Amino acid sequence: MATTASFIIVSRNDIPIYEAEVGSATKREDAAQLHQFVLHAALDIVQDLAWTTSAMFLKNIDRFNDLVVSVYVTAGHTRLMLLHDSRNDDGIKSFFQEVHELYIKVLLNPLYLPGARIASSHFDTKVRALARKYL
Amino acid sequence: MKWFSVEDVSNLWPTVKDRFDERLPFRRASLNNKTRNPVFVENLNAEFILTTDSRLRSRFPQEQSLFWFREPYATVVLVTCEDLDEFKTILKPRLKLIVQNDEREWFIVFVSRAHPSNDNAIKSAKKVYDRVQVEFSTKKRERCCKFDIHGPEALFWEDLESKIMDCVRNTLDRRVQFYEDEIRKLSEQRFMPIWNFCNFFILKESLAFMFEMAHLYEDALREYDELELCYLETVNMIGKHRDFGGVEHGDDHAALLNPGNKPLSQIVQDDSFREFEFRQYLFAYQSKLLFKLNRPFEVASRGYSFVISFSKSLTSHEHKLPFCMREVWVITACWDLITASSSQYKAGLVAPDIEKEFYRLQGDLFSLGRVKFMRLAYLVGYGNDIERSPVNSASLSMLPWPRPSVWPSVPSEASSEVLEKEKLILQTTSKTKHFGIQRKELPLEPTVLLREANRRRASLSAGNAFEIFDGSDRSGPDGSSKSPNSQKKAGVSMSRTFSSPGNFEGSPDRPMRIAEIHVAAQHALQETISDEDLWKSLSSVEEFEKKYLELTKGAADNYHRSWWKRHGVVLDGEIAAVCFRHGNFDQAAKSYEKVCALYAGEGWQELLADVLPNLTECQKMLNDQAGYLSSCIRLLSLDKSLFLNKEREAFQAELVRLAHSELKDPVPLDVSSLITFSGIPGPPLELCDGDPGNLSVTVWSGFPDDMTLDSVSLTLMATFNADVGAKAVRSSTAMLKPGRNTITLSLLPPKPGSYVLGVLTGQIGQLRFRSHSFSKGGPADSDDFMSYEKPARPILKVFKPRALVDLAAAISSPLLINEIQWAGIVVRPIDYSLKGAILHIDTGPGLSIEKSFVIEMESCANLSQTEPDTPNSFDSQNGSPTANKQLEQLTLEDGKINFPDWASDMDSVIWVPIWAKSDSLPRGSSSVAPPRPNMVDGMRTIALNLEFGASHNQTFERTIAVHFSDPFHVSSRVIDKCNEGTLLLQVILQSQVKATLTVYDAWLELQDGFVHAGQGDGRPTLGSFPLAVSPTSKGGIIFNICLGKTIDENGAEKSESIVNIRYGISGDRTSGAHPPVAMEYSGSDASRKDLTFRSVLVLQRPVLDPCMAVGFLPLPSVDLRVGQLVPMKWRVEMLKDLEDKEISKHNVLYEVNANPENWMIAGRKRGYIPLSKKQGSRIVISVLCVPLVAGYVRPPQLGLPNVDESDISCNPPGPHLVCIMPPALSSSFCVPV
Repeated sequence: MATTASFIIVSRNDIPIYEAEVGSATKREDAAQLHQFVLHAALDIVQDLAWTTSAMFLKNIDRFNDLVVSVYVTAGHTRLMLLHDSRNDDGIKSFFQEVHELYIKVLLNPLYLPGARIASSHFDTKVRALARKYL
Repeated sequence: MKWFSVEDVSNLWPTVKDRFDERLPFRRASLNNKTRNPVFVENLNAEFILTTDSRLRSRFPQEQSLFWFREPYATVVLVTCEDLDEFKTILKPRLKLIVQNDEREWFIVFVSRAHPSNDNAIKSAKKVYDRVQVEFSTKKRERCCKFDIHGPEALFWEDLESKIMDCVRNTLDRRVQFYEDEIRKLSEQRFMPIWNFCNFFILKESLAFMFEMAHLYEDALREYDELELCYLETVNMIGKHRDFGGVEHGDDHAALLNPGNKPLSQIVQDDSFREFEFRQYLFAYQSKLLFKLNRPFEVASRGYSFVISFSKSLTSHEHKLPFCMREVWVITACWDLITASSSQYKAGLVAPDIEKEFYRLQGDLFSLGRVKFMRLAYLVGYGNDIERSPVNSASLSMLPWPRPSVWPSVPSEASSEVLEKEKLILQTTSKTKHFGIQRKELPLEPTVLLREANRRRASLSAGNAFEIFDGSDRSGPDGSSKSPNSQKKAGVSMSRTFSSPGNFEGSPDRPMRIAEIHVAAQHALQETISDEDLWKSLSSVEEFEKKYLELTKGAADNYHRSWWKRHGVVLDGEIAAVCFRHGNFDQAAKSYEKVCALYAGEGWQELLADVLPNLTECQKMLNDQAGYLSSCIRLLSLDKSLFLNKEREAFQAELVRLAHSELKDPVPLDVSSLITFSGIPGPPLELCDGDPGNLSVTVWSGFPDDMTLDSVSLTLMATFNADVGAKAVRSSTAMLKPGRNTITLSLLPPKPGSYVLGVLTGQIGQLRFRSHSFSKGGPADSDDFMSYEKPARPILKVFKPRALVDLAAAISSPLLINEIQWAGIVVRPIDYSLKGAILHIDTGPGLSIEKSFVIEMESCANLSQTEPDTPNSFDSQNGSPTANKQLEQLTLEDGKINFPDWASDMDSVIWVPIWAKSDSLPRGSSSVAPPRPNMVDGMRTIALNLEFGASHNQTFERTIAVHFSDPFHVSSRVIDKCNEGTLLLQVILQSQVKATLTVYDAWLELQDGFVHAGQGDGRPTLGSFPLAVSPTSKGGIIFNICLGKTIDENGAEKSESIVNIRYGISGDRTSGAHPPVAMEYSGSDASRKDLTFRSVLVLQRPVLDPCMAVGFLPLPSVDLRVGQLVPMKWRVEMLKDLEDKEISKHNVLYEVNANPENWMIAGRKRGYIPLSKKQGSRIVISVLCVPLVAGYVRPPQLGLPNVDESDISCNPPGPHLVCIMPPALSSSFCVPV
């Protein structure tokens, strides 16, 4: 498992709708905010890159010293963004794919308003389990 | 520069040199590139030099192959000759010699000096030239051209140029071929030990150089690229330890754009070059070519990745390099790249994509340089002047410290600087955030500098440093808290612990203090940095800030230009921080607003929470109350977990304080994010038109503490009609608890329609706030939210105006006039409560309410309740409607009746005692005075005004008509005239009410001219009383009267007869007329009080008394025909004796009137007839008439002109029309058969 990994889902309006620190490293208190900042800045790059490829998985689009940002852009332009320090691209790809599936399940929930924050604890548990499995 | 050697055979060069040089550089040339594809190049530089030139002679033959590119590309043999023999004997052998021995491309320029006027000279020159051509040109290749000095030149130059280009192309191809072969040979040996990179490099670069000279920059660039690849492969080859380089003075300044930084001979090492210099050298050439290709974008893009990769190399060799050499190099490299590429870049020349990318790269370079610059500044001790913002923190805290082999130590003479620095550190107070926000400041360092620096000192073991550090670090149990505050404190406290004077240059074992580290770093950097500009920027805080600002601005601007708004805006925030520090709040607020707008717009609350307090502070400083307040609101509406409760309370307190004290003018404020509201779940409140009501609204307060609102009002939007604005509802003070509150607002009577929640507005002190959002939950104010907006649920329905109540008269049949009667008013509420209703009763003229009697109100069967539709009504009914039949006596106060509660929902009847007065006596009808039906006579009106509704806001007005009438209508007629002169007068009583009337007695008071027959008292002849008259039926009474005169004692003459009827009535008030009110209570039948009815009867003596009668005697029964004589007969008869009539004569004048067109009268039309005045005398008048026309015609009429018409009774006087047949056919025209 990656030592540092920050996972965030950004809705198509650039609003973070789900955040999770999934790294195994002991958390630095300020890390969350810095990770957020890095991921937020990476949106600039995603915005350029997303339209240049038909692939959903954009790996290593941004590098921040040792940390790398990988992004998975869904068809609805929801972006699953992962800030990580591991180099396990296949694992990350699988992680994204499975989270995408979970996200679609959330979307299918009639009570979930697309674009709203994902508050489902079930989703959270699943994502964390996936992170342990793949990252 | 290309050279063309000129073999000046005939000593002509000095004369033509200028004209040759004029043609240079060649404007356009077609060359073959490395892949043998033709390429057009422009402005090819060249020089013509003589073969005797020194530059061509100095070559060693063995070098020639390597530096072949320096050899001339072609030899121009310049020759002239006017004599053919001379050419054959002298020139030709010489030329052959030149041409044979030369491997170069060559061609001959034959110069003709012949003057155009000199034909002979021209001819001979031509002959010679022809000869030259024969000798030297082949079919394949034309190698000669002729230059007429005096002739037209254009053709020649074209010819020359094409010849030269052919030569150049051939030479180039040949040379490229040669180099390629050489390079291939070398490449094949690459993995052999003897392989030498330098040789390879020389070949490659020569080739590249040649390409460059030929303006084939693309090819040159490719050569350099290949060279770089090859070099990187060799340099990374394991097992070969090479010197990296970069330790010389001035190496810290990046030379990646300066190809001539160092001569290659200086950097050559063994069989290769030093990496540090050589890679920069290669990049410099690449960028030079790229600039020549006008591709500054590529310079930037390659440069950026070069800086990154080179920085990595520097890292790996950091221990050998001077302190912070890597950082300095990166900074200078970035700056150089930025300056060079931006100066070469011309906006608008490239595709928008590239342009965007270019600016992005510029931004990246700026920002990279900026980060490294900040790192140096931190080391020098300007850490306090670097904003601890997420962007700085993210870039710096993940960037490892420089790792020199030994951390620099304080020079011995720098103790004063250390003291100064220490003082500075002590002076800087840690910046407290506005509102006392306790936030861990973001780190600017990957690990604590103090520990890192001490650990890296050679003399100090790592373990030692930790011990020291832990002893002074009181940051907490986890031991990982590295907040700069605690670190600073640690530094300070350490300095105190160890600050014994003169201890600075103590034993090297002593760990350095932070001030010492800064001073040491400063000195070490001074050693490292050769760039004056950079050193100046680091020399003082002011200079640092200047440069910092410049870099930040550059990065921000470029990011903005590249549409990387997030990067750009964030850097704007950094500029704002500097502006803020310098008190330029206006600028700071503007930039902070941009940052906040970005984060807020995209909902990154954690990041917003970091910047927003700064903006708030700016706005406070600027006294921008509206902005300040709205920032407070935004702070409050951020996620609760982002601030401590204490801090949130502080925000609120600030808001309340401002609202109540400082604001002079009311300030509008949008609190949609903080105060949200929604309707109470369940069906909407339903109101009838005009009714006020109370609307309950759930209001969520995001305030951390109780909030007192001075007023709250809510606008409601009509769903179907946007124009019909909103209705405001108000409540006075409201207290909002944190979380959910329910506020009840009173509604002004709204217009009909259904309403949804609109805007919540209110006031806190001087603060006018408004909130638009309905409920928390989805992300507000985003497009998504709008598109998934829940359908607005109506909160209030106001029905269209409809009848809420109905007032009607209980009965339609007439009541007794002049008696106290119960008038019933039916009150029927229509699905609307009449609780507390008040009924105003106002009687019209001729009607009064008997106040001495009580008013009764009773319930009556409700039609709607009898319908078994709702179980509710059944329950409440609980049996038959009579079971709970209510009856209540009410009193009238000021014309008002207050409704009892039970009557609020059910139909009821109000019985009001009323008395309709009529002064006139009713008149009976007879043949003399026919009845005049007049409904208005008995109509009386009652104006009713019912006030009801919750606040008596509803009124219902109705005027009901009550019909009154007399019990009977009396009509009379004389049924017979008896012989003795008595008249039988029949008085017919027709009941006019819906009640049984019983006539007990009746008597007649006769008018003058009539007397009762016999000695009657006026009672009817046949006493058949009591006479019961059912409703609408008739009864008759016969009186015997006769004409006669009575002298009244009083002498007054009565002109009318009056019939008096004593009667009783039995009826129900619910159906119509009934006994008067007073009687009902008088008790039993015994004390029955009979009513009296008087009606006027008009009797008239017969006024018409004809004394003569004229009768038309029947016509003969045969048909009347035209031309036939018809006797018309009238009989005139005296009916009575004519004593007093004026017909004095015995003869009565008669006259027959007939239309002369229709009738011919044969006889006397006018004449007297003798008639006795005795009663019964009669005479028949017969007149012969002949009808003249066929058809229905009016018969002749008999008139008696002397007798008053009233004295003649002629009924019937004769037929109106008689039928006259056409004349019969004359037989004389008939033909016998």
